[in-house]
Formats: sequence, structure tokens, C-alpha cells
Amino acid sequence: MRIAVVGKGGAGKSVIAGTTARLLARQGYRVLALDSDLLPGLSMSLGSGPDPVDPPLNQAAEKNENGRWRLRKGVSVVSAVKRYTTEGPDGIRLMQIGKGGKDGIQPIMGAVNAYYKLIHRLGDARTFADWAMVADLPAGPRQLAFDYAPFAREYLVVVQPGAQSALTARRVAKIVRMRGGAEVRFVANRVKDEEDVAHVERLIGEPVFWSLPADEGVAEAERLGIAPIDHVPESPTIAGIEEMVAALASLGGNSSR
Amino acid sequence: MKIVVAGKGGAGKTTVSGTIARALARAGNPVLALDADANPMLGVSLGVGFEKTDMLNSVRQALDAGEVEHEPTVEGMVESFGTDAPDGVRLVVASRIDNDSPGCQCCGVSPDQILRELEHEYRVVICDLEAGIGTVSRMSAGNADVVVVVANPTAKALEVARRAIEIASDVAEVVVLANRVRSDEDLKAITDVVGDRELIVIPEDPVIAAADRDGVAPIDLDPESPGVAAIIKLADRLAGAPVPA
Repeated sequence: MRIAVVGKGGAGKSVIAGTTARLLARQGYRVLALDSDLLPGLSMSLGSGPDPVDPPLNQAAEKNENGRWRLRKGVSVVSAVKRYTTEGPDGIRLMQIGKGGKDGIQPIMGAVNAYYKLIHRLGDARTFADWAMVADLPAGPRQLAFDYAPFAREYLVVVQPGAQSALTARRVAKIVRMRGGAEVRFVANRVKDEEDVAHVERLIGEPVFWSLPADEGVAEAERLGIAPIDHVPESPTIAGIEEMVAALASLGGNSSR
Repeated sequence: MKIVVAGKGGAGKTTVSGTIARALARAGNPVLALDADANPMLGVSLGVGFEKTDMLNSVRQALDAGEVEHEPTVEGMVESFGTDAPDGVRLVVASRIDNDSPGCQCCGVSPDQILRELEHEYRVVICDLEAGIGTVSRMSAGNADVVVVVANPTAKALEVARRAIEIASDVAEVVVLANRVRSDEDLKAITDVVGDRELIVIPEDPVIAAADRDGVAPIDLDPESPGVAAIIKLADRLAGAPVPA
């Protein structure tokens, strides 16, 4: 299972990515969660605690004599996942690009460079052949265009019943399809009824793969900054994500077993 | 006058930017709306229309396509590549990412560069930023007079707002907007982060939700609904002039 979650800001990407990672881990997968958002999000939805100010991946890169970033000697994708990730709930390994602060991305440039190099080696690493990977990308098309989830075979394009969200979904789906090698699956989020689903489908111009209900429990978890799967494990959204993950697996999104 | 709008994705930046632009234009100000999001959709909240917004050419792409030999000034670009929105607002899209090999996005016409160089003596420039704090962290004096930080009562949006306020305070006046406030509890969550700063409250408003659902401008649906009216009032204050009802 190699999943990247994309879409407009606020559509529910992190909740879907974090919950999917937790559910896969509970199913027995070893899970690598990938957070390339400079803003906080995934760690809250995953329930992995506060983001470190100095991301561990900063230690994985160094500058060469010409001032160009490279992975430090001896750092492979295998050792990086072992050393420069943090452990989240249910045994998930969390690899993070780091968070932007007052000085922009300057303090995390090592991590940014290491992250980009490592994700391009993840797909071929045999050690991780049977791992599940779940990436939460920042809002919009930028990182997608620069190939920040080359390992992904399934792109979950999250869209809620609104024009801006649908416009974003169309744009990101177009970029995924241009590059090829992965499936686009539209996920309608926070839908109240069938008409909401139909509205999303009208706006994006194609069918959705799955729809997830509007859910007060998840909204409350979001206000409180608690992982929805911990705060409201029985909620309709969590149940919906669980069914969606099962559906993905049965479609052959299950690349490893 | 240059107003920049920042915040987490989904916080309501575009809705706020578009509505402020329309309100200021209705009040008689010349208004330039700059869409500085690489995922541009300010046109939607300005009332340009869903499909048309998706088709709008951007300065960056127009230059790449060689549609202009050498447009030497930012003002020239605005003139050549802008489009007209309702109430006489001029809309310019800085750059859009719409393919899988976009090349360097900051060479030539970065949003912060356009913002810095735009003429703003005689008009209001209102700029809708990309989600997050990237552009704000690259801003220097002269990029903006006012940074409107749009906050929502969720833990993630408040964390983004906290960072944006901290960064923007160094270069401009900061106005914090509490958007989609449904209860005193929501408001308190935001006040806790903002501290003593003045907070402008935009109540949860079904008119704004309906406008976003259908891709129309909230100000065209109902300028007197509580949320829209609160944004118009903010526009009035930002311009320092009364906005006619």
C-alpha cells in the first residue's frame, strides 16, 4: 500500500492520512508515515505528539565543498528510516521534512534536502517492499508538481463539496495523471447526503471513489488537536476510512501482500 | 495601500480577499486583486465564475509562453495579463502550477517581487497568498502595509496563525481575523493564541458556505448576511473610509 493524500487546504488530508496510517498499522503492516508539510498537521492527526523543532532528518544531510547538499556518508534509505524517523502510536515510523518557523526553512534545509533525496529511493528499497507508506502532502499542487511522493501508487485526492476544493482536486488529479504510474482516487469528504456527493461529482466532472461523512466528533478532535482515531474511534468518519482502506486493498492497491 | 491575506489552507483567505476587494471597489476605490497562490482561485470569490477562474492565464505562464517580448515592469504585466472582475476590480494571477515539470517558480515574477514592485499610491492592492507561511516569511518592508491573518478555531489553523502573526509583525501591521466562529468557546480558543491583539470576528455564515459550494461571490449572494457584513466592515476599516451600504 503506497498512498499519497493530496487536495486543497482544509479538505481533510491530514485526518485521512493519519487515520489511514494508524489503521494499516493496526492491521499488522509496518507503516512509514511521510510528512512533507512545512505546516503542522499530520502529527496531530496521527497522534504522534508535538513536531520536533529540529527535525531528526537534519542530521542526515550535509553540505559538500561546493555548498551543495548531499546525504551524509553512510546514510542510506534504510538507515535513515531507522535513525531519522520518530516513532508514533501503533509502531508507526514518522519521517518529517520539518516545520517552517520565523526564519523560514533555513534551519531545516538539511532535512528538506535529505527528505527529497530519500523519498526518491524509497520506492525501490527492498527492505520496505512489504511496508505500507502513507504521505500527507501540503495544500495545493506545488509539491505534487515537484514529485514529492514518487513512491505513491495511489493518490487520494480529497475534495469537499465546494467549488474551491473541487477546482484544486481537478488540478492535482491532472498533474498526477500527467506523470503517470499511479491511480487517482477522489475522496469526497464531509458529505452530508447523496446530493453532496453528486455535487462533488458535477464539479470535478467524474465519479468519486469513496465518500466520507461530515462528522461532529472529528470536528471536535480537530478543534482540540487530538488524533480523531483516539478521540472518536467509533465515529462514522473513522469507520468510513476503514472501509475505504479495505476497498483500496481489494482493488490491488495492495502492492505487497 | 497593500493588504496581504495569509493563513492555513481552508481558513477562508480567498473568501476574505475576494470580499474585501469587492467591498472596497464598491466604495469607489481602484482595486487590484493579486492572486499569489500557485493554486489560484481568487476569481471564484470575486465572482468571475468557477470555470473562467480555472482558465485564467497567469503572468508567469504568459511570460513562459513568450506572449510578451519583454514586459519590463510589473505594472506592464498587470496591464497585459489582468482580467476584469465585477465592480471594476482588476484581477491578476501571479503564477499557477498546472503540470508535472513546472520549473523554477521564483525566477522572474515571484509573488513577493510583484507585491513589492506594484504601484500602490493611488489604489488598493489586495493579495491572496498561498496557504501557509512561505510567502510571509519572505516578505520584507514594502511588501505590505497590512497583513490580515485568517484564523479558524482548530488546533492546526491556530498553530499556522500563531506562526504567521509572529513573522508578519516584523514587517507590517497585523490584523487577526477569527473566521467561522460558532461559539464563545471557539472565540476563546482563538483569543488564547492572539493574546491582547485586536481580533475581528467573522461569524459562521451559511451564505458564505453556500457561495463556496456553488463557486459564486458571497457579496453577490447576500452582502447583509452576518459573515459577509463583517468582512465588508473590515474592508471599510482597512481603507479608512466608510463603505456605503
